[in-house]
Amino acid sequence: MLDDELLSTHQQELRRGTVVLACLLILRKPNYGYALLDLLERSGFAVDANTLYPLLRRLEKQGLLTSDWNTDESRPRKFYRTSDLGGELADTLSRDWDELHAAFRTLKGES
Amino acid sequence: MTATATTSLTDRYIEAILRRVPSRQRPDIERELRTSIADAVDDRLEAGADPAEAEVAVLTDLGDPARLAAGYADRPLHLIGPALFLDYTRLLSALLITVVPAVAAVVGLLRAVDGDGASSVAGDAVGAALTAALHVTFWTTLLFAVIERVPSAKLPARRWTPTALPEPTARRTRYAELIAETVATVLFTALILLSPMLRFETDASGDPIGALDPWLWDTRVIYIFVGLLITSLSMAFTRYYARASAPLAIGRAAADVATGLTLIWIATNDHILNPAFVEAAGWSSGVRTWINGVVVAVCIASLISAVFTGLRDYRKR
Repeated sequence: MLDDELLSTHQQELRRGTVVLACLLILRKPNYGYALLDLLERSGFAVDANTLYPLLRRLEKQGLLTSDWNTDESRPRKFYRTSDLGGELADTLSRDWDELHAAFRTLKGES
Repeated sequence: MTATATTSLTDRYIEAILRRVPSRQRPDIERELRTSIADAVDDRLEAGADPAEAEVAVLTDLGDPARLAAGYADRPLHLIGPALFLDYTRLLSALLITVVPAVAAVVGLLRAVDGDGASSVAGDAVGAALTAALHVTFWTTLLFAVIERVPSAKLPARRWTPTALPEPTARRTRYAELIAETVATVLFTALILLSPMLRFETDASGDPIGALDPWLWDTRVIYIFVGLLITSLSMAFTRYYARASAPLAIGRAAADVATGLTLIWIATNDHILNPAFVEAAGWSSGVRTWINGVVVAVCIASLISAVFTGLRDYRKR
């Protein structure tokens, strides 16, 4: 019987890098932090706000995202968008993911 | 929109974050975080939550501001990370096993030369060792914690190669044993030969009273004993560097046995402690009997060990 703690540890390990790829893919259309949190959750990439907000800034610092302040609405919102570099990384990571997916299929097919 | 009390809760949260991030990031983080919190609170209000509860819930979800701020500032949440940890423990243990005994020995020696009592010598040596250990640990830890936090300061990455593997335990342990034996013999011999000069106790005219029986010097037995100790040590060196052989094993065992028997003979004839010293120190005569007994017991144990070592050497031949 798999206990919850063991399961969640391994799930976390497996999903660790996927949030970055998901962000880079979603932010090809500009969006702001809180909306992204919601979008990610609905797309099946549950992530905590206190993980996502610093992550967005880190990706921005690495040049993978660009940002713009939108002050048209009542609240000023920082809109992030995937940069060209970010797009490149997203393509590479997506290919990696596909290769992993194929590799897993092979493993499971053989067993 | 929201009550004053709850607004101040958000303000306090944001304040706690901003305190912990670099000042040039502050305005940007504040604007973004304020909007994010307000959006999250609005969502909860729309879902029918009580305003105060909504704010508390949102801030609770965001969690400890120190943790979130560390995320913003890209600061590690550990003192020394995995990249440095091995270097840290290696340096720390190397310093602890060298510096601490050295400091204790130097301080003990200086106090002994000053002619302090045995208890003050031991006390000062232990105190100095503890202080040295604290300093070594603190400064080493601080150094590594700083390296961990300075982005450009990285230790030169040393590639690990199999040549760095420790030597087989047997040889390494034997080397450590040899070093320990050398240090112990040198210290012990020095202590014996210096003992008439050490001012643990003094007589009426202020001259030091030696702890060991002057009979040992009068009869020159002490020089025979020291000679045996040195022979024993040189046998240990020969055994380490030369190929094991039967004559060598017998020679070593003979030196060890001779040393042990000499000491037993001295102890059973009650020629270890100087009676004048025992009297000056105010010890009862029972102490002499007791010390003689301990010496004999230790000698018997070392004789047994010498026989076993001899047998082991012989079998390895």
